[in-house]
Amino acid sequence: MATTTESTPKAGAKPFDIVATYNELLRSDPDLTMPIAAIEALVLLLTHSPSSTISETLDLLAQSTAHLKKAIPNPIGLSAGTDLFQRYLITTLQRPGQLGPAGDFKAIRTHLLSNGRLFIRRAKESREKIVAFGRGFIRDGCTVLTNGGSRAVASLLQKAADEEGGPSAVRFRVIYVLSSISKKTAEACGEPEGMETVRALRAKGVPVSTIPESAVAYALGKADMVIVGAEGVVENGGIVSRMGTYQIGLLAKAIGKPFYCVAESHKFVRLYPLGQYDLPIEQHVIDFKSEEDIAEQSQQPVDTGVDRPVELESVDFTPPHLISALITDSGVLTPSAVSEELIKIWF
Amino acid sequence: MADSVKPDLTSLSTTAPSQAPPNPVPETSPSQSLPIRDSNSAKQPAQSEKGSSKPKDAPAASSTGGDGASDKPLTPAQLKAKAKAEKAARRAKEKADRDGGAGAAGGSAPDAGSQQSRPPNTPKKDVASGGASQKGPKGAPPRRGSGPVTQASAAEPKKKKEDKSVSVFSHLYGQQRRTTVNGAAKEVHPAVLALGLQLRDYVVCGSSARCVATLLAFKRVIESYTTPLGTSLARHLTTHLSHQISYLSTCRPLAVSQGNAIRALKLAIAGIDPSTPESSAKATLCDFIDNFIREKITVADQVIAGSAVEKIENGDVIVTFAGSNIVKQTLLQAHKEGKRFRVSIIDSRPLFEGKSLARALANAGLDVQYSLVHAISHAIKDATKVFLGAHGMTSNGRLYSRVGTALVAMSAKERAGGVEVPVIVCCETIKFSDRVALDSIVVNEIADADELVPANPPQQVTGLPDPAAFTTPPVEPKKGGKGASAAPTADTSASTRTPSPSPLANWKDTPHLQLLNIMYDVTPAEYVDMVITEMGSLPPSAVPIVHRMSTNI
Repeated sequence: MATTTESTPKAGAKPFDIVATYNELLRSDPDLTMPIAAIEALVLLLTHSPSSTISETLDLLAQSTAHLKKAIPNPIGLSAGTDLFQRYLITTLQRPGQLGPAGDFKAIRTHLLSNGRLFIRRAKESREKIVAFGRGFIRDGCTVLTNGGSRAVASLLQKAADEEGGPSAVRFRVIYVLSSISKKTAEACGEPEGMETVRALRAKGVPVSTIPESAVAYALGKADMVIVGAEGVVENGGIVSRMGTYQIGLLAKAIGKPFYCVAESHKFVRLYPLGQYDLPIEQHVIDFKSEEDIAEQSQQPVDTGVDRPVELESVDFTPPHLISALITDSGVLTPSAVSEELIKIWF
Repeated sequence: MADSVKPDLTSLSTTAPSQAPPNPVPETSPSQSLPIRDSNSAKQPAQSEKGSSKPKDAPAASSTGGDGASDKPLTPAQLKAKAKAEKAARRAKEKADRDGGAGAAGGSAPDAGSQQSRPPNTPKKDVASGGASQKGPKGAPPRRGSGPVTQASAAEPKKKKEDKSVSVFSHLYGQQRRTTVNGAAKEVHPAVLALGLQLRDYVVCGSSARCVATLLAFKRVIESYTTPLGTSLARHLTTHLSHQISYLSTCRPLAVSQGNAIRALKLAIAGIDPSTPESSAKATLCDFIDNFIREKITVADQVIAGSAVEKIENGDVIVTFAGSNIVKQTLLQAHKEGKRFRVSIIDSRPLFEGKSLARALANAGLDVQYSLVHAISHAIKDATKVFLGAHGMTSNGRLYSRVGTALVAMSAKERAGGVEVPVIVCCETIKFSDRVALDSIVVNEIADADELVPANPPQQVTGLPDPAAFTTPPVEPKKGGKGASAAPTADTSASTRTPSPSPLANWKDTPHLQLLNIMYDVTPAEYVDMVITEMGSLPPSAVPIVHRMSTNI
């Protein structure tokens, strides 16, 4: 927990800024997912806050959660974490006994914080569990098509390739779909998302082919399965994921290849989108323009440049009927089991 | 509590020390007497409800009244003997019927007296054998297990009384609806008696409304209830309530929500400590009912409407079917929040539940388009969302709702050449059922087919006047001759019908014509995108999980 000690003195000096903490956490640890970063930021917030009653704590939590959600352009993944933490707090507080509403608040607080950390550690371990569950899906001689920069997928593929010479060594090939949009937008990185994973896999001796998004339909015939990551898993078992996942799902369904999604169970969000345009975020993917509009826009280029310094990574929604199974740390689930898991957490 | 025992109860307990024997007779009587127009009499000349019920029921009412009066002094043994005699008379009548038209005149005449003393009883078995009776003349008299034979006989061309039950649904005709309160068990509370009639006539209609009305009626039952000597409230009240319940179910089959509410109430009664004083136990139960209504319906509806409103966006065109209360609440609230959208109401015969919804929405200032279900393909063309109410949700995620719902859902999901429209169901968890429905045949409800008859299209000249319309009236008295008691009613009904010659008016006498007035259908889970409940939005597959949770807690 290096980050904790790192941000403590800073926050002591000035009022605790949850958004900055969240962003810093994400930057400092490339392995951190959004929900976990959010939970970690909230735990840090509680560490710093001088709150002395339960309702004060919950209030503070609700406030800063709302603040955080508003400040981040795409709060879907994040809200999974904050909701989970809030739920966890409430159930802990409602439990009878020494830590219940009647108990000593100080004890409750320390318990909460220590358990919050335990929670984070467990969440980080969940990736290993996923690997254990998902390794059986990758078999000798198969070809996996994947996309995006999901760390869960990357760790699954790398673990599968890892065991050189062992009895469970898997020889497989990967077709990596590299997004063309992010090549333009993410100029800071200089390379499309996922190149890192491609390099790592190649270093382990896995033959990797990179294709553009337009070649997915062409390449799917050579693939045996599709494995994608997810930003959030929604209540009906669909996934919110990097733009382009939906079309891969549609194509995989049409061609009849299994479509697996790898996601940690803390990414389950209480959200129920009815379609692409029902997500709680604003995306300007489809932007109709006439010659006039372009001319108008070019007259005030400074304005727009200031307005959106960070281009939002756009996402789409893959409906549950396209997904064969979700590989999570609580097992391999069908999409309809997601709501059961969510209900278990919430009630 | 012993001081407040009412006179009739004391008399009961003195004449019948063990309580148990007198009970069975009244308990069975609602179900036995339920088809006042049983399968046989239903096949007799068309009776309009208004026309027939008066002359026919008047003697029945008086005689049952006398019956009820003479019931009390009877000892259990006498009651048993009486029941036996009635059963024998019934059998004799059935046999006479089976013998065909010739024997019927002699056979049924002596029966008429006994038949009137207690209305004939036709549980399912009798319907089946009634159907089999049509085979009688052919010389194959199967008595038992004649279910499938009944269906076959429906298609048979040459027979006197045609089976008017549609064969696929023949198993549903067993539950014929009660037409009057007579023959109801004497334990049935007046509030419940009234409710039963309201349920039957669709005055109280809609799953939640029926549930609330039932609970409120039961609250009055509990309020006026006194525990008889020698039993405890927890044990006796349940049986007392079950009289009310069986009466209600003869008026109209119970809704899923009613069943769930009754189950919860019975559980609450059973959970009462026998040592609790009666007054406080009753107060607890009344509180329980009030809380139950508030939690499971009133507040649940608000929560559902609140989350359903979030799914309505500006510019939406919302299609809904028939008149669901919760959908109405949702649309009104969305309008109140300033969302701009259009509503297209699809309605159907014969209940026209959408009319009041259309009126309410239009009064509130919404843009409403009203059309019947025939125009569904037209209405769905510019739809963006479909909101549906529910009668129940089954454990396999299917929606059990007013007939026509499945058609609307299917049209939305399989719209030709368009993006599929999300279908959203608003449903309280109290409507969740642990049953599984694969089709809408096994479990359904058949309403009186006469409801389909009266709505007349405006007089049109599309062809020559049907000569059959003039020949049918004379047929009726002839047919009515079979059942002596029903003959006068046939005449009255014929005379009342003639002024409005609906083409279907004499459907019961028209051979090869069957009317089916089915109440519900089952929408496959694939056609439902989302179920909004008070516990959150769920996919249809999560229905059993939520049902399990809400019943366990």
